[in-house]
Amino acid sequence: MALIKPQTPFPDAQFPVAGVDSLADLLTTLNEPAPPARRWAARNLAAFTEAVPDLLAALMQETDASVREALLISLTEIGNAEAVAGLVECLRKEDVVLRNAAIDAMRSLPGAVAPIMKNLLTDPDADVRIFSVNILESLRHPDVEQWLIDVIGQDPHVNVCATAVDLLGEVGSSKACTALEALRSRFPDEPYIEFATRLALTRIREA
Amino acid sequence: MTDIAISLEEFRKFREFFYRKTGIQFEDSKRYFVDKRLSERIRQTEAGTFRNYFTLLRFQVSGEELQQLTNLMTVNETYFFREEYQLKCLVRSILPEIVARKKTGDVLRVWSIPSSSGEEPYSIALYVSELWPAINEWAIELISSDIDTDILGKARDGRYSVRAIQNIPPALLQRYFTPIAPNEYRIHQELRDSVEFTRVNLMNPLDTSCYRHFDVIFCRNLLIYFDDLSRRKAAEVFYDALNPGGFICLGHSESMSRITSLFRVRKFPEAIVYQKPELP
Repeated sequence: MALIKPQTPFPDAQFPVAGVDSLADLLTTLNEPAPPARRWAARNLAAFTEAVPDLLAALMQETDASVREALLISLTEIGNAEAVAGLVECLRKEDVVLRNAAIDAMRSLPGAVAPIMKNLLTDPDADVRIFSVNILESLRHPDVEQWLIDVIGQDPHVNVCATAVDLLGEVGSSKACTALEALRSRFPDEPYIEFATRLALTRIREA
Repeated sequence: MTDIAISLEEFRKFREFFYRKTGIQFEDSKRYFVDKRLSERIRQTEAGTFRNYFTLLRFQVSGEELQQLTNLMTVNETYFFREEYQLKCLVRSILPEIVARKKTGDVLRVWSIPSSSGEEPYSIALYVSELWPAINEWAIELISSDIDTDILGKARDGRYSVRAIQNIPPALLQRYFTPIAPNEYRIHQELRDSVEFTRVNLMNPLDTSCYRHFDVIFCRNLLIYFDDLSRRKAAEVFYDALNPGGFICLGHSESMSRITSLFRVRKFPEAIVYQKPELP
């Protein structure tokens, strides 16, 4: 034995190739018991914006990590307001993996996420506000700094403000200094806010 | 033209940001390398200052400038036996574990992507042929792919400069290469025939759907050029392409764990690689 060239270049594909399947076929396959079949369907449904409700419904109940990943990638590729609204719902779930995956997906969608960011950052649920600041960490959008300044100026929850300050230390400019100073006065008894604010101000001023 | 000065704080700020985006970490010793490229891009983009450039890098919706800078920071000439510790890992740890699960008569399949001009797939072929003790007991198919048809032509042709082959031990060089011109060698026909070169765009499901049943994938220093979504799509392609329990080797600065949780980390004595979980 030794190195050999493949006799037939490659084995046949397990499933029909992309573009051949109809929406109806793919939606049926999305409910197949075998994860590779569901993964195939999930991936190819990225070509159908009308499949967003089905992709989201499947995402909420999918237990196989590889299929879940394919569903999230397809929702990210479609990336419309309906897909983003579904991802926002994932932020409210107890499932940490699903929540983190939704945060990752939303970071890739600045155009679709920006219009709803103000609402997310003022959501009644402090956890959702923290996750929204987490989205800003890698969101390519010119308003990121202003959103963070608004958060530290207004948010009543110390953990939300702390998350925003950490990020401002990285992305903030002199524009954020006044808001950072003001935050110290809002939470005078919180040592972490004092520490994080001082660090952020130092980094901004030295940069 | 004078270089634009990058302060230590700016270097650190950039380093942290760049690591988070790409997983590439620059030590303090690389400061000159980083500063030079940063100031070059600041000048070319007419940003004027680091602060303006960093804002562009951070917030540009298309991410084009980050891609440009990434290319500049990662330009590497490829050569034989690059990141050799992974080739050692292949023959000492990975292949023995794979064949322990195989039946007599089974074929092992290895996919090397991108092929570039052939240095990596031929290095794998050389290493396996010469340094894997069980080579005579098993058949191995080695497939190597690239998106660039010109480079595939060069790979099939197998001609290399002295610089590309400088890490090959003299005995192997003599056995597998023929000098064809001053400073130029050609790899032997036997080895050229042992690799199947194919054109593949990892982002196109039509291209990738028939790549299945691989035991090992080498994909080194490619994903660093992709954006986040493309990396995740590529990881999915590899997941589908691998047999359960199959391995994927990435470049030293790349981490599958930062892209997806689909694979598990395997720490071998020679290298850290990633493994598709075996069936439950």
